[in-house]
Amino acid sequence: MIFVISFLVYFGLDLTPGDAVSHMISPELAATITPEKLEAMREAYGLNATFLERYWIWLTSCLKGDFGYSMAGGVAIKDIMVKTIPATLELSIVALIISTILGCSLGILSALKKGSATDSGLTVAGMAGVSIPEFFFALVAILIFGMHFQWLPVGGRLLPHYETLLDRIPNIIMPSMVLALALTAGAMRYSRSSMLDVLSREFIKTARSKGLPEWRINILHGFRVALTPVVVLIGFRLPLLIGGSTIIEQVFQWPGIGNMFIRSVRASDYPLVMMISLMYVFVVLTASLLIDLLTALIDPRVRLGKE
Amino acid sequence: MKKTSLDKKFDKLRFLEENNKLVSKDQNRLISKFLNNKLAVLGLIIFSIIILATIFAPLLTSYDPIRTDLRSMRQSPSLDHWFGTDNTGRDVFSRVLYGGRVSIFVGLGSSLMAALIGLAIGCYGGYKGGWVDVIALRISEIFMSFPQIILVLLLVSITGQSLTNLFVIFILTGWGGMYRLSRARMLSLREEEYVQALESFGISTFTICYKHMLPNALGPIMVMITLSTAMFILTEAGLSFLGLGVPLNVPTWGNILNVATDIVVLQNYWWMWAPVGIVISVFVLAVNFIGDGLRDSTDPSQQG
Repeated sequence: MIFVISFLVYFGLDLTPGDAVSHMISPELAATITPEKLEAMREAYGLNATFLERYWIWLTSCLKGDFGYSMAGGVAIKDIMVKTIPATLELSIVALIISTILGCSLGILSALKKGSATDSGLTVAGMAGVSIPEFFFALVAILIFGMHFQWLPVGGRLLPHYETLLDRIPNIIMPSMVLALALTAGAMRYSRSSMLDVLSREFIKTARSKGLPEWRINILHGFRVALTPVVVLIGFRLPLLIGGSTIIEQVFQWPGIGNMFIRSVRASDYPLVMMISLMYVFVVLTASLLIDLLTALIDPRVRLGKE
Repeated sequence: MKKTSLDKKFDKLRFLEENNKLVSKDQNRLISKFLNNKLAVLGLIIFSIIILATIFAPLLTSYDPIRTDLRSMRQSPSLDHWFGTDNTGRDVFSRVLYGGRVSIFVGLGSSLMAALIGLAIGCYGGYKGGWVDVIALRISEIFMSFPQIILVLLLVSITGQSLTNLFVIFILTGWGGMYRLSRARMLSLREEEYVQALESFGISTFTICYKHMLPNALGPIMVMITLSTAMFILTEAGLSFLGLGVPLNVPTWGNILNVATDIVVLQNYWWMWAPVGIVISVFVLAVNFIGDGLRDSTDPSQQG
């Protein structure tokens, strides 16, 4: 799958104006270079070869970790990625942890109190969480906590070398909370329906008839089984997380890959746009594979390789 | 006891039922189930109000959403300008109304088109299989392995910004899900007796699949249309907010919000961005309520 997409991406890259030589050399260099030299470089890099041959060369160099150069300033794309990915990972992981814990516990709470005011309140709140545009929520959060009360910094990320871990926490609170909002709503809905489904099964009745305390039934017997679809959901939410993080990073000026992606789209920096989207695809496909494996680990009913 | 609007609706339904005026028994059940869901009805009401307001925008406001008026810029909300005016003196209320036209049109229109395409391919592919299905399945797999917003941004960067481009891009990113859903439905419907009966009568493939099977696959598709409408409206708002969606001279909900990227506006002129943000949220919430109500009334297995 990734190969098909990489082929398409390369095809798209090929269609965009300018060829690889103009991408590889920095603009300052381009001003001084002669057409003959350019032609020689094209020959040297194999650009006069057929499309398929060039694709093969590009693919192998990508696998070796050479992603080419950004059009803006001729910076190596690899360097850009190395710089921005940790920031995004930091933000996403924090948001994922917050949303999973909060979402699962609220979802289970609302499943256990099905039909009560708590349940319907949480359901409506969950819907609102999905419906409010994340960036609008971010703006309101900035206005209230960043400007009015001035409790939290309005954006940016401190560099790891200069500050202690404790100093960096205030900067991550707002973006991660905002990012977690929509995810929490999704996790809540899902864990609620999954828990309801499990609670109506026979083995819960058995556990109850054995006289086990209610919390043991709910947590040990119910929750464990209800967890499986929730794990799957985390995998499905990954694209959502990535999508959300691109806009949130922009609003909070978080120096992550999403921010870089939007900047490159704005600047029509095709090589960078293509490589970053290819990386996203790679992440999503790898994650879905990992989720499959993880499901098999958690749920003994799912076995790999057997129909 | 005082009668609520819901009661009146029920009375009307009952009246119709008693006089045998309801066309189909089955439809009746679905509608009443949908009406039973208070949130869904609320969603439908809000949805209709906002849509009607945008359609009849010229009646509700006398201001032109594009014409700038530098003598009255950055005015706070007043009787003249309900939502105030923006940086160049344009009336925010009229911009919200006219912007709603574009935003809703893009959201609803592209998800309907995507559903049409997805259904057309999915029904045939799911029923007949064959090379059409194999190819469509592969293509949809390619589209779906991108996170949605990344694919949209990628396509925007290739094709450039315009309203038509955005419309086409949304259809391109949305049809895959519709296709897969309708295909899955058709695969299970294919095994039903009535389909085999139709086949044995020698009725043509097209008639079986589009006339007889399609209506039975519509329920989940309807839900998906509402959900993707909500999603497209949010995506459009997000993109335009970043300045990458519809060009800035066209008023859309996202473009109105775009002013809030300026920290001065964000801090001092709340009326320029807060009302439109709330309108987007309320509208999307209404659409989601409708979608949820539809799901409950068409798919009993999902009921909580």
